Amino acid sequence: MARVAREMVEKAGINVDQLVELLVKNAAAELTTYYYYTILRCNLIGLEGEGIKEIAEAARIEDRNHFEAIVPRIYELGGKLPEDMKIFHDMSACPPAKLPEDPTNVKEILKVLVEAERCAVRGYTHICNMTSGKDHRTYDLALAILNEEIEHESWFSEFLGEGPSGHFMRRGETSPFVSKFLK
Amino acid sequence: MKEFTEKELAEYNGKNGKPAYIAYKGKVFDVSSSFLWKNGKHQVLHEAGADLTAALQQAPHGEDVFKKFPIVGILRKKETRNV
Repeated sequence: MARVAREMVEKAGINVDQLVELLVKNAAAELTTYYYYTILRCNLIGLEGEGIKEIAEAARIEDRNHFEAIVPRIYELGGKLPEDMKIFHDMSACPPAKLPEDPTNVKEILKVLVEAERCAVRGYTHICNMTSGKDHRTYDLALAILNEEIEHESWFSEFLGEGPSGHFMRRGETSPFVSKFLK
Repeated sequence: MKEFTEKELAEYNGKNGKPAYIAYKGKVFDVSSSFLWKNGKHQVLHEAGADLTAALQQAPHGEDVFKKFPIVGILRKKETRNV
């Protein structure tokens, strides 16, 4: 634990235990999403599916990066990950992004993807609101992740006919916002 | 439709197998089926069995999230007497 770092956050008026629990739940959401997106990506096939596969893959890899970036902050603040992976899965901040009943229905897969991203956008907005001006490091991390989650939502929502998002798919490396936490 | 007092609503806290009910703008919703209300707790900060009308103003989502949950009653607030 980074004792003084935790003290500073406590002194700023944040309930650190609650914040750590939120971070663990969001770490669980990222890792489980990485897993479920693997299955979704495998099922994005055919004329409709292939066009979405690449962005699903970018979102999948970035969600794994988010997990990697959150974990050190949990331990810095005196928290830890559950020892049991099943408990970790079930405490996720977002519902499992499971393959729809009809795995050939690309629109249904897109709905799962966009709902997962929207849950993440809400979750990191919540953490940003909670830590803004109080816990600079967690805020910086949550904001970086939020930037990427908003882009993921934008990519998928365009395919659902919700209008243009103004975003393009990734060019070059993944996680342009979060990569600074992974070095 | 069933009327709940705040005390009665508090019984439905989602713990120990009890259903999880929450109130919003006078309506009582059953959120037991929601993954996000497991064990009567939502995103660390919110507990079932309570009126969350004020809390929703701070939430990163709108009231549309309640659409998918059944309404199981209405919340009867404490009567205020004129002096």
